[in-house]
Amino acid sequence: MAFANVLFAAIFSAAVLFLVTAGLQLVFGVQRIVNLTAGSVYALGAYFGASAFDWVVVRGGSPLLLLPVLAIAGLLAGQIGFVIERVLRLVYERDEAFQLLMTFAFVLMLQDFLRAIWGAQPRIMGDLPDVYGALGIGEFRFPVYNAVVILCSLSIGLLLWWFVEGTRLGHIVRATAENKAMSEAMGVDTKKVTTLIFVLGSVLGTVGGALVIPTTAASLEMPSALIVEAFAVVVIGGLGSMRGALFGAVIVGGMRAIALSYFPEMEIMAIYLVVVAVLFARPYGLFGKAVS
Amino acid sequence: MKNILLIGLFVATVLCSPFVVSPYYATLVITMFGYSIALMGLNLLFGYGGLLSLGHAMFMAIGAYTVGVLGSKMGINSFEVHLLAAASVSGLIAAVLGALCARYTTIYFSMLTLAFGMIFHSFLFKFYNLTGGETGISVARPSLFGHAFSEISKTRFLTGPFYWYSLVLFLVLFALMALIVKSPFGQALRAARDNPQKTEFLGVPVLRVRYVAFVVSAVYCAIGGAILAVSIGAADPELAFWTQSGNIVFILVLGGLGQLFGPLVGSATFALLQDFLMANTQYWRFAFGALLAIIIVVAPRGVVGLLARGFGGRR
Amino acid sequence: MTIAKKIARRDVLKGMGGTIATMAGAVAMPAIAQNAPVKIGILASRAGTAAYIGENGLRAAEWTASRINATGGIGGRKVELVVEEETNARETLERARRLVLQEKVDCIQGVYSTGVSLPMAPTLEDMQALTIFWDGTTQDGVKETMPSPRYVFKSTDNECEAVMASLLVAKHLKGKFKRIAAVSPDYTYGRNVWTAFKALNKKFGIEAEVVAEQWSSFTQLDFTSNVAALKAAKPDLIFCVLGNADLPIFMRAATSAGLTDTARFVLVQAGHQHGQLKKPFTPEGTLLCYNTMYFARPDPSTIQKEFVEYYMDRFKDYPHWECERAYFSMMTYKAGVEKALAAKGGRWPGTDEVASSMEGIEIESFGGPARMRKDHVAEEVFYGGFASHDNSYDVCTLANSYSFEASVLQKPSGADFWKWLETANFPV
Repeated sequence: MAFANVLFAAIFSAAVLFLVTAGLQLVFGVQRIVNLTAGSVYALGAYFGASAFDWVVVRGGSPLLLLPVLAIAGLLAGQIGFVIERVLRLVYERDEAFQLLMTFAFVLMLQDFLRAIWGAQPRIMGDLPDVYGALGIGEFRFPVYNAVVILCSLSIGLLLWWFVEGTRLGHIVRATAENKAMSEAMGVDTKKVTTLIFVLGSVLGTVGGALVIPTTAASLEMPSALIVEAFAVVVIGGLGSMRGALFGAVIVGGMRAIALSYFPEMEIMAIYLVVVAVLFARPYGLFGKAVS
Repeated sequence: MKNILLIGLFVATVLCSPFVVSPYYATLVITMFGYSIALMGLNLLFGYGGLLSLGHAMFMAIGAYTVGVLGSKMGINSFEVHLLAAASVSGLIAAVLGALCARYTTIYFSMLTLAFGMIFHSFLFKFYNLTGGETGISVARPSLFGHAFSEISKTRFLTGPFYWYSLVLFLVLFALMALIVKSPFGQALRAARDNPQKTEFLGVPVLRVRYVAFVVSAVYCAIGGAILAVSIGAADPELAFWTQSGNIVFILVLGGLGQLFGPLVGSATFALLQDFLMANTQYWRFAFGALLAIIIVVAPRGVVGLLARGFGGRR
Repeated sequence: MTIAKKIARRDVLKGMGGTIATMAGAVAMPAIAQNAPVKIGILASRAGTAAYIGENGLRAAEWTASRINATGGIGGRKVELVVEEETNARETLERARRLVLQEKVDCIQGVYSTGVSLPMAPTLEDMQALTIFWDGTTQDGVKETMPSPRYVFKSTDNECEAVMASLLVAKHLKGKFKRIAAVSPDYTYGRNVWTAFKALNKKFGIEAEVVAEQWSSFTQLDFTSNVAALKAAKPDLIFCVLGNADLPIFMRAATSAGLTDTARFVLVQAGHQHGQLKKPFTPEGTLLCYNTMYFARPDPSTIQKEFVEYYMDRFKDYPHWECERAYFSMMTYKAGVEKALAAKGGRWPGTDEVASSMEGIEIESFGGPARMRKDHVAEEVFYGGFASHDNSYDVCTLANSYSFEASVLQKPSGADFWKWLETANFPV
């Protein structure tokens, strides 16, 4: 029964990681850009979510509105993707390295942006957001909120899958990813597609951050720390692959939770060693394709 | 020739500095030397080779920690030994990592180097008996050619004997890099950057050329890191964090990617800019980010490029 | 109300000392002129998980400096603070170098993290920069890096908190626990105090099995997995060394998961975050260690009363021990300078002379009488006790406040920490 706690924590970690890396994969899959701002927008979502909830509560809103408030806050914060994409557009024709560096420039700017608005101290949310209570059987006890986050992450994953596989817009996006020139020739406005994808990727990040804030704290170190984990996920899973994001998140999140309980010494390095091992076996990750 | 004039001007400036500028700025010049040397290595790999590494800060950290471990933990004070060890350890590790990374294309190369950099970062924490863990290692001043100079204060050591030592080291390494870049190897490297398939077709072993560039760049970074460690007096694990790797790339791009004087100009600009910004605002990261974005879009050849355009000469 | 000086434009060329006297054409002289201020460089954490700690210290430093200036300054000269940020060892050293070479401060005070103070100390000593560390020195670490400093003064040894926690556990909780677990950031101090706790348990005949150890990283702000791991191990007592923003987060996660119902928590660095440890997730009976300042101690000294009232009124928050350390450092420096000044018949003392005067100095700090030992280690009074919710604040206070003199908790000069632990007589 005690193991159930560990398993639950593992699934929770994986769910959160999946949300962030899904955004990364989406952007890479279509635009071939490794978006280092994924961590920064995640932190933005967390800070903004915390502020939004405090704002609602101060105005007499019920704490039970936690989930919808955070979700909406995440969606709103994600609109920053429009700004970033607009600037990124200036380097679409350039070498990939410069696109990567441009996203790094944004990482620097966003960090101070966060600092200017929310200050330098980590931000916790309110007192005890156990608003939805806790459930449990015996020693296995978990906050309902965490379970809800897991469900949200799954739903979002399914929604994305349906979008890409099932909708016409999704087909257009995939076509653009496969062959931009051809899509343009067929009359697709690829500019709008890339903007859509980038903003969607940002929204996934901000929503992830917002959903997670009740269980942790928003800090200025969040962006760079998250990139490290996200990278482990996408390298293991394969750049550009949604399935890769899922499997990678499960492996990294799960491994971290389990390692903490049973092999605490190895925890941080274990993840990287797995990264290296996977790369030896499958040079482009589990589900990745060679990038020409 | 313009190059020689510029070099002459530069040498004259740095020769005068310790006598003219305040001790604080003289120590900043040493920082400039340290970064220039490291960036020369990075320039070889990224500027001339086209491979963006997001993990090269780890080699600077290796340089810093080598000096720290040898000096503080093992009591070996000779800076010459430190430098040799730093170069060797760094070169060895790069030889292994390069074999793994060099065959990947740009994005995967960047991600792999980031991953390895972070592995090294956690290594610095985990093996705390050797590395001091999160505390890092205090770096005592080394002896130069056998002289300990213990009768003078640290500041005078830095603005005196160590200053000249670093200057000479910088000039030697700069000359060496200039030779490397102009050599057939350098040309092959640039050709591989611009068109790998064609270059391969012409019979150049692209993979091997890149591999050598990787190792050489690591050695340069280690030497730069060693100088910086002595100047500051400490080595800590954050030296190897991936954002540090990003920062040194930024400084290089600021100075002029793929330009011979890029590292030097970048380091000088950065050292002065950082000092100015940090004194006047707490949002210096934003300034750097904005500067990087502007440079990428408007002046991809960095300050060197702007200066060259200003002097109306070369492209 | 801050009097910390905004850093002015730099003077690049030598000989342009930067003083107003120079601009007026007078010969540039080092700031020995009686009307020039005494410049004190402050290194405080401004961002990140330790920002709350640095902020406390800085506020206290500013308050102390204003108070000193209101009563005539140090030896008749006003105090001026120059504030720089404490981040990691390397960057903080660069800033310290700027403070010494560029700002030409007379003294550096600050620094709270062991990870910063230990590597900085030898270089500061080498630079002959008079430095008083607020915090961040460990008994085990310092013997390697600073054997006999002349210019660097160390805070009271941080393992004192662990010794105090162990003594309180031994006295009040003996027999009430069998399974212990630790949660701490993975650093020297954390490892040391945990080892010390286990050693002291053994010394007092407490049989306890270690069932889990959780080592986190400093930037870690998500403790769900750690809490799950701790729950799985079923400890009765959890020795928690977290002291930054991670502490309240951990306590909330622990409460959410029900861990606080089954284990008693010992919070070794509670004092640093007690303003954030709200009642809902800090249960009664938790052992809280307040280090050298307990804001609500019964019979506070006049100076503490004055400061706490000011702080709570101005900042709507609770001051913690970093405030006391800042106050202690500033007042010790003042006392040292004035003692040296008197010894020199009114001529301003040099750095060496101030440093020697500070050895053995005694002052009245917030927590009670405090002194700077001749070996440059501070001695102060430590406070701790078991949490109670019976108060009008939104945070805990202590049901009973226990205090210990540093001479009880701190190893004597020159002794080896681990050997001293074995042989010392503790009041249990």
